[in-house]
Amino acid sequence: MNPQPEIVLVDDEEMVLTSVSALLMLETECNVHTFLSPAEAIRHLETHPVDLVVSDYLMPQMNGIQLLAKSKELQPEAARVLLTGHADKGSAIQAINAVGLYHYLEKPWENAQLLMIVNSAVERTQLLRQVQAMISDLDNAHDSLKDIQTRLIKAFL
Amino acid sequence: MEPAAATEFELERLRAQVAALSKDAVLAQLAAGVIHEINTPIASIFSNIDVMERSLEAIEAQLGAGGPPKALALLKMMRNLVQVDRMACQRISGVIRGLKLHARGEEEGLCPAHLNQLVEDSILLVGSEYKRRIAFITDLGDLPPVECNPQLIGQALLNLLVNAAQAIEAEGQVTVRTAVEGDQVLISIADTGTGMTDEVKQKIFHTAFSTKALGVGTGLGLPLTYRIITEQHRGTITFTSELGRGTTFEIRIPITTKEP
Repeated sequence: MNPQPEIVLVDDEEMVLTSVSALLMLETECNVHTFLSPAEAIRHLETHPVDLVVSDYLMPQMNGIQLLAKSKELQPEAARVLLTGHADKGSAIQAINAVGLYHYLEKPWENAQLLMIVNSAVERTQLLRQVQAMISDLDNAHDSLKDIQTRLIKAFL
Repeated sequence: MEPAAATEFELERLRAQVAALSKDAVLAQLAAGVIHEINTPIASIFSNIDVMERSLEAIEAQLGAGGPPKALALLKMMRNLVQVDRMACQRISGVIRGLKLHARGEEEGLCPAHLNQLVEDSILLVGSEYKRRIAFITDLGDLPPVECNPQLIGQALLNLLVNAAQAIEAEGQVTVRTAVEGDQVLISIADTGTGMTDEVKQKIFHTAFSTKALGVGTGLGLPLTYRIITEQHRGTITFTSELGRGTTFEIRIPITTKEP
């Protein structure tokens, strides 16, 4: 489990990046990486494990849903949140299904709500990773049990 | 056709096209652009105000009651400024929401709200500009929570309070009263201003009518207020006015907007 949750925040407006990262710095223990361009965010996601990706919807080059789809491909367990100024609920609902969106927020967002979503999203990702680790431990235990069983059978036959 | 005549013809056609675009459609388009453009900066400012409040609280907690008096006084001043910023932003947001409402007549969400609080907040905001020459007096009754859109009601109150203050030429007073009247609440805003002529009385709820100087009045405030109260809240807005004595606006809105 990552002791300091990693968050990727993407918006083509510098002011949104500054505001949201200031809030997260003050109120959470998260490490926030901000990106003005989706392409840069993808480069980060290719090499760094993260717990949560928060993305704006309308951006040049690539929209938020396309970015989150790429994020799902690269790191399926990282939670995905869309922060949209477009009030485009139709696209957000489509995204919930298409990219497995954890949550969607409209601008102007409420800080208290944003914090709640970020905290629960990070917790969910970390729990998911714990469960994956436990399943992997179980698989290993199962394998070694089978191995012991085989050896026992061999010993008695 | 000669080239010059063709150009003239083309120009005429363009002029006709321009004329065909209705004023309302242009305004609605402009409003949508403005709303979109302002939304992100205002979201950022709102968030920053909240972060500053949280930070100031944290600093205050660190200093404790025994902190240096000068630092504590500065903190108090900053907290007041942040509060004013928040109210100022709410006012901008309110205008934007009002514009949205005016342009598209959107239905906004209703929730139980404390109107007296809205009245006090609005007076605080308007008072910051007019308190040197105008006394704001309140007589606020015991009101139950009222099902309304607080932002829109706040916008309506701001419009009426600003109008009341601007109607007073030198010094005077604005009295705001709230009370329960059966299944409605009443908010009355009375000023000791110049009052209105009969001609002005006929037109005050018309869009783009203003008696204020260019750049002061947009002619949108009262029509917006009218729509907020009557259409969004199924309420009524009435007024009495006497030249040289002042004007009183009375808003009545149902405590619950649900159909019986």
